[in-house]
This record gives sequence, C-alpha cells and structure tokens, in this order.
Amino acid sequence: MKHLRTFFAIAGWTILLGASAVAGDVKVIANPSVKAESISARELKSLYLEEKSSLNGTHVEPVVEKRGPAHEAFLRDYLGQTDDELQKYYQTLVFTGRGSMPKVVGSDAEVVAYVAKTRGAIGYVGAGASVEGVRTLSIGDSNGGERQLVTRIEPKYPEDLLKRSIGGTVRLKVFIAANGSVDHVDLLGGNPILGESAVSAVQKWKYAAGNSKTTMEISVPFDPNR
Amino acid sequence: MYHRVLGLVFVSLYLCQAPMQAQDFKLFDRDVQIHGFASQGFVHTSDNNWLTMNTSGFGSGEFTDFGANASTQITDKLRIGAQLYDRNLGGLGRWHPTLDWALATYKFTPWFGIRGGKVKTVMGLYNDTQDLDFLHTFALLPQSVYPTDLRDVTLAHTGGDIFGDIPVGKKFGTLSYTAYAGHRSDSPYSGFAYLVNSDGGTFNSFGGLQYGGDLRWATPLKGLLVGASRMNEDLTLDFLNGGTDIRLNSSSDWTNQYYGQYSRKKLVVDAEYRRYWTDLGTQGVSMIQEDVRGWYVAGSYQVVKRVQVGSYFSHYWLNYPISGLLPSGTGHDYDKVITVRFDPNRFTNIKVEGHFMDGYGLPDQYPNGFYLANNPQGFKPNTDALVIKAGFHF
Repeated sequence: MKHLRTFFAIAGWTILLGASAVAGDVKVIANPSVKAESISARELKSLYLEEKSSLNGTHVEPVVEKRGPAHEAFLRDYLGQTDDELQKYYQTLVFTGRGSMPKVVGSDAEVVAYVAKTRGAIGYVGAGASVEGVRTLSIGDSNGGERQLVTRIEPKYPEDLLKRSIGGTVRLKVFIAANGSVDHVDLLGGNPILGESAVSAVQKWKYAAGNSKTTMEISVPFDPNR
Repeated sequence: MYHRVLGLVFVSLYLCQAPMQAQDFKLFDRDVQIHGFASQGFVHTSDNNWLTMNTSGFGSGEFTDFGANASTQITDKLRIGAQLYDRNLGGLGRWHPTLDWALATYKFTPWFGIRGGKVKTVMGLYNDTQDLDFLHTFALLPQSVYPTDLRDVTLAHTGGDIFGDIPVGKKFGTLSYTAYAGHRSDSPYSGFAYLVNSDGGTFNSFGGLQYGGDLRWATPLKGLLVGASRMNEDLTLDFLNGGTDIRLNSSSDWTNQYYGQYSRKKLVVDAEYRRYWTDLGTQGVSMIQEDVRGWYVAGSYQVVKRVQVGSYFSHYWLNYPISGLLPSGTGHDYDKVITVRFDPNRFTNIKVEGHFMDGYGLPDQYPNGFYLANNPQGFKPNTDALVIKAGFHF
C-alpha cells in the first residue's frame, strides 16, 4: 500500500510538473578549492555577470554551458536572461574593456570535467548529472545579509525514489533565528517526497548567529547517480 | 562597386561558416583573450548625398569598419586591455586606425571600482557601444542622438572613471553609477574637421577637458531601466581660415541625456532624449552657439531565433541662434526607420534598413550627416535611404 501511494505520488507529480520542470533543475558545482558549501542566488548572479570575482575569499571563474536544458534553466532561474541577452551582455563587457568572455563548454560532462580540474572554477549542470570530483553548492536567496552555514546535515534519499533513479531539486524557504538555528522550513517546489526529506534535514542545520531573523530560499539537489 | 560590395558580403559570410571562436593564449601564465569585429555597409539614397558618401547615384559601399582587442585579468581585481578601431565612411575615418580604448580597471568591490587610460564614455544607452554594430538591431542608430559622423565627440576620454553597482534591495532594484574626467580630442577625420575643411578652412584641433557622470536604475519592474547622463566640456577649436589661425574657447558646453529601456521576452523598447548646448567664442565674444536637441523612440522584436525586426522615429532639431562666423538659423531632420536583421549564425549578421527622412539639419553650421561639399547642387527636402550592412564578430 505504501509503495502504491509512493508510485501514484511520483506519477502524479511527474505529470503535473511536466518535462520542463524536470529539465529546469540545476545544481551548482565548484572546484574543491572554492571554500564554500552554499552560495546565494545574488552571489551567483554577481559572479556570472562579472560584478564580483571571488567567493569567501577564493578567486572564482564562472563556466557557461553552450546550450541545453540546464543552461536554459540556469539563465531563466538565476540570471533572469535569455541566452541572446547574456551573449550581448558579455560582448558589451568584452568590447568596451570592462570584462572577459567566460569559458564556454558543450555539455554537463564537460562542465564537470573542466570544473574538477580548474582551480576556482564554478559551473552548473543538470540535476541528474554525475558530479564526481567537484563540490555541489546549495543555493540560497537571502534577505538581511548572508548567513554562513555552520552545520549541514545531508538529507536522506527516499529509498523508493533512489531505486527508480528519480532525482530532482527541491526549493525551500528557510526561516533562521538570530542565534542561527532553523525556526521552520517551507517547501516551495519540487518533488514532495524529496521535499519532505529535505525539510527534515534542513530543520537540523545550524547557521552563524546574526543580528536578526533571516529568511533564505535554498535549493537542495537529489542526484540518484551520486 | 556593386560587385565589390557583394563580394565582401559573401566572403565575410563564407569565412564565418567556419567555427569562429575568440582566441585565447597564455602570456606570463595569464589568459589573454583576443576578440574582433568587422562590418561592411552599402547605402543608396533617393536624392541628397548622405554621410559624406556619394549615395544618390547607384549608391556607395564606402562604409567599412573593424576593430580588435586583447585583454587579460592580472589579479583578482585588476584587468587590462586595449582595442584598435579603424573605419572608412565616405570622407570620414579614411582608414586611419585609432586606439579605441586602452585601460586598466581595478574593482575594489562590486560597488566601487576605478579605471584609467583611454576609456569609453558611459552616456545614455549606447554611447559606449555605438561602433559595435553586431550588438544592435539597427544598421544605423538614431542619428538624432548618436550621429555617426560625430562619434568622436562623446565616444571616449583619456582620463579616469569611478564606477559601481549598488543594490538597493529587492524592492528597489539596482543603481549603477559612473563619474569620469579626462581629455577628449576630435579626430582630424571626424565630422567637425570635414565640415571645417570643406568650408575652405583647415582644421587643426578640437578638444579639451571633459567630465560628467551617468546614473542608471534597474528598477524592480523586471526589464525596465531608466537613467540620466550629464557631460560638461571645456574645449578649444583651432582652425585656419584664410591663413589666419582662429582659436575659439567654449564658455559653456554641456550635454544632458535621459533614457529608458523596457525589455520583455522578445520585445525591446528604447527611448532617449539628448540636448547639447555649446557657446564658443574668443575674448568673451560668442562666435558660435549651437543648441542641438534629439530624441527617438525605438522598438525591436525577435520574430524567430535568427530574425529581428525593428523600427524607430528619430527627431533632430538644431538652433544656431547667433550670426558670428556663420548665419543664424534652425534646421531639422525627422527620420522614420524600418529594419530587418538576420543572423545566419552566432557570429554574423545582415541588416536591411529603410530610412525616410524629412529635412537635412543645418549643413552650413553643424555636421549632421548632410554636407554641402557632397551636395553642391543644394538640398531637396526629403531623403529616402536604403542601408544594407553585413558584419561578423568573434
């Protein structure tokens, strides 16, 4: 009965979300030299728009995929631009002396390979891509300033989904108390079974103490091949 | 001429079928990037000759430009680079290459950086990118605000900028600022020099101090940008007239520009207004006063992946209020434009554009595309123009 319920839940969400939502899942990866466990959506945008070039004191070089669903989802969700707009943006930087063209590679596998071997490299790949040799960063979008993640508990992968090789990324809104503990977590999007597991783990996370309460939107990837 | 233009277009397109990538190499363990661009145009007009070319017969293909740059990141916060640019547009440019920009940039934080050297001047939406044809839908930007024969006037300064982006919260968007000061110098192959020389004088120099700033606001309404720019100048115009050296100094010279851009999905709408005022004289006596006001509204739409269409209305009005060196008067040029842009691949583009112009400015007093030297028979009130342009970049 439990398996049947899980099956219908998975099937229902697959139909509801459709192919584009699945295609829209990305995870951000970095070379192990990058000293960060997480990155805010604003930091990610600043790095890719070359407004800043370091993360937690490490020089960072963004890598762009040439095309594909991960590329489209990343541009849409984190940069708010189309591929043409981004190309035009980089060309304006390059031809007015204000920036350079980032490294462009052709596929998820090439991104992973390049990021793994290049000090300071940061990239994005589809949620299902194998990410051996690189670090996966959780993505947040904070208000009231960045809160450094101090203790991270990895979410448990639901067995039924793992057996069926079903992955994806869930989006959460995390309410962090001034002392750094997590008050509560809202599930914003993604597979509800994966979401349940992620919420359970994130509730145990601990952030650095701050001056006031903070909310952050984060993405937690589940990769069945990992 | 016809075959030469077509030949250039086809050769360009053929060359660009090959995968064309920016060239990277290592120098002292630093990545150096090389990029470049080129474009070739053809212009035919119904009546008056335009942009110093003989356009009213068969047409003219004397409309070529190209540039190349090299740049590298020295440290996490320091980058250097330089770009060469060359063009031939009728009697302008004349294949004399110029150092377009050569600068060092140091960015302390996203909200504060400095750059120095020869720097492209940030003013309005497109001042610093006006030569970069591949970035624009239109073959010619609205000439009321970005006159191609006067590109030197606002294009770059030798000096320095401070700049930065200041996020003002999700609810309020981002403010970007630039403040600059430096020296500007007109090329002897620019529109002012062409006008002076074709009036029987000999152009020596036109330049001086240039300073100003730009403030733009990426509003919280997605796709909406608004901004304002200001430029002040303290210039000296030096030319020979009948063997006499004449030096005119500006007692007042400023430009104000206001602009907005809205982009949503495949639609981009731009609107800009620029007013330029100058008062040049000698020993406290005004000899030249010019009040130039231009504005335009432009829209472009991406019909399919590789095809864009666009249109703009450009309104140019000039007042020359005093009779100093030249007679006083007013002039105008209202230009309605339609364009189709086709990008055969990521690196090439072809544009076909129609201009329907009413008026020709004040060709005796101020350069604005139409010159007496190219129209000795006098001017007809309206000019229709066909502009075809092909370009590539890497």
